[in-house]
Amino acid sequence: MELFVDILLSGVAQGMVFAAIALGLGLVSRATGIVNFAQGAMGMFTTFIAFSLLSHGVGYWPAFVAALALGAVLGAAVERTLIRPLQGKPALNPVIVTIGLLIVLEGVAGSIWGNVARGFPAAFSQRGLVIGRTRVAFSHFDVFLVCAVVVLVVAIVALFRWTNLGLRMRAAAFSPEVSRLLGVRVGRLFTLAWALACAAGSLAGLLVAPLSSFSPYYMDLNLVYGFTAAVLGGLLSPVGALAGGLVTGLSIAFVGGYVGPDLQPIAALALLLLVLMVRPQGLFGTSEVRRV
Amino acid sequence: MRLRRDRRASHRPVMAAGAAFAMAIAASVLVVGNSVDNAVAASTTGVTSRQITLGATVPLTGPAAPGYSEIAPAMNAVFKWVNAHGGIYGRKIKYIYLDDKYDPTTTATLTRKLVLTDHIFADVGSLGTPTNLAVLKYLNTEKVPHLFIESGCNCWSTPKFPETTGWEPPYTVTGKILGYYMKNHFKGKKIGELYQDTEFGQDVMKGINMEVPASAVVSKQTYDVTTLSGAMTTQMSALKAAGAQVVVLATIPVGTALAMLPAAAIGFTPQYVVDNVGADAPTVGPLLSSFTTAATHTKKAAASATALMNGMITNLYQPPESTSSNQWIRVEKKILQRYTGKLWAQHGLDGNTEYGIALAYTFVQALKAAGKDLTRTSLMKAIDTKAKTFKTPGFSPLNYTNTVHYGYEGDEVVRFTSSVGTYKTPTGTWPGTKVLSPVYVTTTGSGPVKVYQGKEPAVPGTLKATA
Repeated sequence: MELFVDILLSGVAQGMVFAAIALGLGLVSRATGIVNFAQGAMGMFTTFIAFSLLSHGVGYWPAFVAALALGAVLGAAVERTLIRPLQGKPALNPVIVTIGLLIVLEGVAGSIWGNVARGFPAAFSQRGLVIGRTRVAFSHFDVFLVCAVVVLVVAIVALFRWTNLGLRMRAAAFSPEVSRLLGVRVGRLFTLAWALACAAGSLAGLLVAPLSSFSPYYMDLNLVYGFTAAVLGGLLSPVGALAGGLVTGLSIAFVGGYVGPDLQPIAALALLLLVLMVRPQGLFGTSEVRRV
Repeated sequence: MRLRRDRRASHRPVMAAGAAFAMAIAASVLVVGNSVDNAVAASTTGVTSRQITLGATVPLTGPAAPGYSEIAPAMNAVFKWVNAHGGIYGRKIKYIYLDDKYDPTTTATLTRKLVLTDHIFADVGSLGTPTNLAVLKYLNTEKVPHLFIESGCNCWSTPKFPETTGWEPPYTVTGKILGYYMKNHFKGKKIGELYQDTEFGQDVMKGINMEVPASAVVSKQTYDVTTLSGAMTTQMSALKAAGAQVVVLATIPVGTALAMLPAAAIGFTPQYVVDNVGADAPTVGPLLSSFTTAATHTKKAAASATALMNGMITNLYQPPESTSSNQWIRVEKKILQRYTGKLWAQHGLDGNTEYGIALAYTFVQALKAAGKDLTRTSLMKAIDTKAKTFKTPGFSPLNYTNTVHYGYEGDEVVRFTSSVGTYKTPTGTWPGTKVLSPVYVTTTGSGPVKVYQGKEPAVPGTLKATA
């Protein structure tokens, strides 16, 4: 029973991280129609910047906010300089660019901070909470992690549902030409989508770093799981990303706990295959929106 | 294009090897001794009258690089020391180490480059089990000595591959010694196991399970090194749920940290027994420093890491870095300081740099023993027949013979504890080391674990005087 609870709780915490990555992937996919394979690496890079700030004596929260802001800047910059020039070219081109960016960012991070794994601090205590008389695998930091991601999802949903800007973003993604004719500055909105996506990626990076071997590669596997979550959630819906993240997190936690940790990546792939076969639009997607 | 060139080139060494084989047979039929050796010496690949070229493949970048990337530069510091003092029989050592990222395919490509383009005399100190397995056959076919592999896999000593040797104690030997200690000191305790699901973890556990009674083991957990990036919460929860009081880890340093962190988080504090590979305090410590909140990050990070490692039991086959009074440790620090200042400033003497220095120094001893007329044959012969006389930091002698190609086969059991003082490196302050047992020796087979009766070798005068 204790084991079951621990697995359940650690699955939830992990799932939230995948949800944040899925959310970022979804935002980019919605705006520019591609999968950003550098999503994880960009989060890694900004987390390393936060790490530098921390080791120069900057407080945790200023470093945390700086990393999120830098994530947004990095996202915007990448969209403007690398992705925008490829507009109108085959969709594979920008995808390859993001893969290249992944490799470059990991290489640059390695040459600046070294290919050494290290620890990264958490915002709150990582000691598990005591429920009843046992200490469970869910800490104050995990509570913060879950809240942070839920707040992010709610904010994005609110942005799309209830603000003029969100409406324009949806319109730009749905039909760039018509939106342009109506005076919407589509390019700017795409840049904004990238900025938001990469800020979400930075958040994921900051949240997952304390319980990882923090090195230039620590986001690689998380990106794979985040991608699974994104497909599961239907790529386009923020709530779908959250649900997809939770399902992915719980699935791999239970597979790891009861079957074997070696099978976790395979379980994620099996999940991915299953969804694509049974419900290719994802749990929360609608089939007409989705074109692959 | 490159592929084609490689393929064409690969015919040449096959023919060369064939010719060499024919010559070897001719030589053995004629039973000519030294004169043949002398004649060959003039044309030994990678050896001139002034230089010996050595090669290696090691992870300098990528997930396996942390810690391990320090070893080859530390080895090179020893070679620089040799070169600064006139080389060996007038020959200076050139050491080419290439980054294989711990990827066996890359290892295979780079090793061919070392042999065919750089014309190395020997492959010395290449790191890793899967990586070295990928070139085992090739180097043996090419008759390139494949020496002192940085891995304790039981697979380096087989008559099929006479050019290959291990160096550190085989994993099953370290496992048996730890298991022997546990059997005698943790009677009646419940034992949990967590190991990396590769030859490394399996071989260590094979040794452990040869000693501890099967009934004492309550849970066996594994992890997959290729996907290791997050905390092993599920494994540690399972060990906790099974009621394990003693947890044995056969993990790489990152694995040790990712096991101990979530365990501490769920209030699981067993007695840890960690195989040497994943137990170096200055390497594991910085990974544990995340177990602290942001507010106290800089000040308390090291303190909390030290607390997590306090009490951990492990095994050593050379003196712990923390015993600053040890003569070997003093010399090793000097060599690092003088010949690789950058590495010294970043890491100081930790388990990895110590490993590199000891391994390179072993090789220097082998080169000396091989004599002035250096050939691949004379080097292998020196290792097979004279290794027991090599003076190295190892507690027990190097056991190479013409049938056994393991190096050390002895360990002592120690405990990390701040009660005997602490040890500082550029990465933090770590608990000192308390010796719990005599030096034990054993073999990978079913032989008993015995107390080693000999003495640890003293530092040779020349080394002390010149380092």
